[in-house]
Amino acid sequence: MIPAQLFCWHFLAYPYLPADFDEKYDTGWVTVPNALWDSEKSKGLYQVYIDQMALADRLGFDGLVLNEHHQNVYGLAPSPNLIAAALTQVTSHAKIVVLGNLLPLHMNPLRVAEEYAMLDMMSNGRIIAGFAPGGGPETFNYDVPSAPSREKFWEALDLIVRAWTEDGPFIHEGRHFPLRYVNPWPQPLQKPHPPIWVPGSRSPSTLVECAKRGYCYFLSSRSHGSATGQAKDQFAKVLADHGRKYHPFRMGILLSAYVGEDDRTARQECEEGVWYFLKNLLKGHLRTEGRQLTFGPGVPYMPAKAWREYLENSKPGRKLLGDAEDWEELDRSNSIIVGGPDTVYERLKNLIDKSEVGNLLIQFHLGNMPDGLTCASMERFATQVAPRLREYSAKVFAQRFPHTEDEMEGELARSGAPR
Amino acid sequence: MTARVIEAGGRDVAVFEAGDGAPLVYLHGFADLHGVGADPFPFHQALARARRLVAPAHPGCAESAEYQDLSTVEDAVYHTLEVLDALEIHRFDLVGHCMGGWIAAELAVRHPERVGSLTLIGACGLFVAGAPIGDVFMMAQPERGVDHAGLRRMLFAAGDTKLGNQLFPDGRGEIDDEMRRYQMLRFASFIGFRPPYFYNRSLVNRLHRVTCPALVIWGAEDAMVPLAHGHAYAAGLAGSNGLEIVSGAGHAAHLEEPDRVAGLVTEFLP
Repeated sequence: MIPAQLFCWHFLAYPYLPADFDEKYDTGWVTVPNALWDSEKSKGLYQVYIDQMALADRLGFDGLVLNEHHQNVYGLAPSPNLIAAALTQVTSHAKIVVLGNLLPLHMNPLRVAEEYAMLDMMSNGRIIAGFAPGGGPETFNYDVPSAPSREKFWEALDLIVRAWTEDGPFIHEGRHFPLRYVNPWPQPLQKPHPPIWVPGSRSPSTLVECAKRGYCYFLSSRSHGSATGQAKDQFAKVLADHGRKYHPFRMGILLSAYVGEDDRTARQECEEGVWYFLKNLLKGHLRTEGRQLTFGPGVPYMPAKAWREYLENSKPGRKLLGDAEDWEELDRSNSIIVGGPDTVYERLKNLIDKSEVGNLLIQFHLGNMPDGLTCASMERFATQVAPRLREYSAKVFAQRFPHTEDEMEGELARSGAPR
Repeated sequence: MTARVIEAGGRDVAVFEAGDGAPLVYLHGFADLHGVGADPFPFHQALARARRLVAPAHPGCAESAEYQDLSTVEDAVYHTLEVLDALEIHRFDLVGHCMGGWIAAELAVRHPERVGSLTLIGACGLFVAGAPIGDVFMMAQPERGVDHAGLRRMLFAAGDTKLGNQLFPDGRGEIDDEMRRYQMLRFASFIGFRPPYFYNRSLVNRLHRVTCPALVIWGAEDAMVPLAHGHAYAAGLAGSNGLEIVSGAGHAAHLEEPDRVAGLVTEFLP
């Protein structure tokens, strides 16, 4: 039986913000002045981050995760495919997940189909192709209208899958991306195409579109209370409505972890990086202080009906992850799991038990965390936490989801893959 | 005074009507009838005392259905023509504010024979170098999750006015009001939020086709569509009666100074 898949997610944060950043600047996104970028200090930064991911590969992580953000201090990969290309050359077994290319920001989705196909060939078939419509900040960064962005997103994604699975050249008669010659060279190595992941925050339409097509749903929430299990139940129901069965590898979740020698030193070692991450990098994204750009009436991508449901079921000014005022409050959000190996194991075991999600996407480098601490935490995780998690999860998944492998086979058969 | 839903172009369209006489078509903006309120403001009531006021809600706004194929301002123009045809209004005076002003101007350059007179109040739609239209979407994201001061400053004269606080309150307002504001932003996002941002670069070259009498009214402190755009409209419209600048008013000049602005419009109407 398949154990939980453990991924190392790297956001490539900007670590050199001034100490008074939070006092002086109202956001880390879109309008954060790029005069703060220090080219001299940042020399070699990408190499340090790539080396950390190469280490994760050697440590036996199942995959490495990258994502796309623009004009911000939270993640320095406006083009995650460039980092993925570098990773194909310094890693050998880990999957490379780009989660994802932001399709409405691309003039032509074919470029994404081509680049993923290149990456799949360069990595010997290790690419997981993530696709996202882009959140609030990207709307502003690239002047992407919110209202039609979902429709554009699904048109682009369906076109890319056709371009990977149907012989070209063919004509695409789409509303947003009409194309006369769809005939991309190269094609991906994986057949019928690389696995596809799509992030969402429980909006019903995304769940439905993913379920229809059998794509992996990545729940983008960073906090994991009872809502994570509820999201899984919701997705399981939608899958059933579309003739598919839930199993743990139909979903992924994001969390952060720091593994120290013991609980006390773990907290001491990571606290600076954690607060830098919460106060500076989440400002403008998952913090109410300043102007949060990720979600709200100014990024009206939801149809009116869905917005009314949101209004009826939420309170204005509700607290976000970055609003945590002290360690205890942060700890309760079950977002950043900190402790010695036993503590981290117990908490993740509990999360697997409650959520029944099989793809755990774990961020190890937090904020301005030094390289030495980041690598030591990853090593402790890989050697003292991961083996126990794999053993435990393989057992419970086998008990609760005995149909998993049949479902996976069925998915391949459905998509016309050669046996 | 009636508010009803009619069918036009196969879609439901909410239309507010009041008053008698020759038809006066009013196309709304953000801080306006349909955009923030179900009931007419004093400005609209004043127009309805002079004429038969007909004010449809844009696609997706108020009780109007969303229009699946809406993607450019031209779609909004032809949608509006469908509405006027359904109402059997063939020739009319046309008044528009903000996005409604943009649609009005685009309609008038295409069908000058149907428009008896054109009045634009704080209308977007033009490209004016060095005078970008403000980012209403970013301002619609509240500060600290609840504070709408940025949006109020964009739509009303400098500082928080009583009217601004009433129409765009901090925190969570009544859900129906929140919905109206959201729907207006969503409509605007379909046709206004893309490069170009709330303008059509070709429009300025077409303005000369509007030969009917035209009046341009602008809040002196408009923080969304800079006053330079008012000058550009007044210079480009062939039948221009010039630019009236309303001191002490912002983008929603007709709500902040209803008597003055309604007076300018009714005096101007042929």
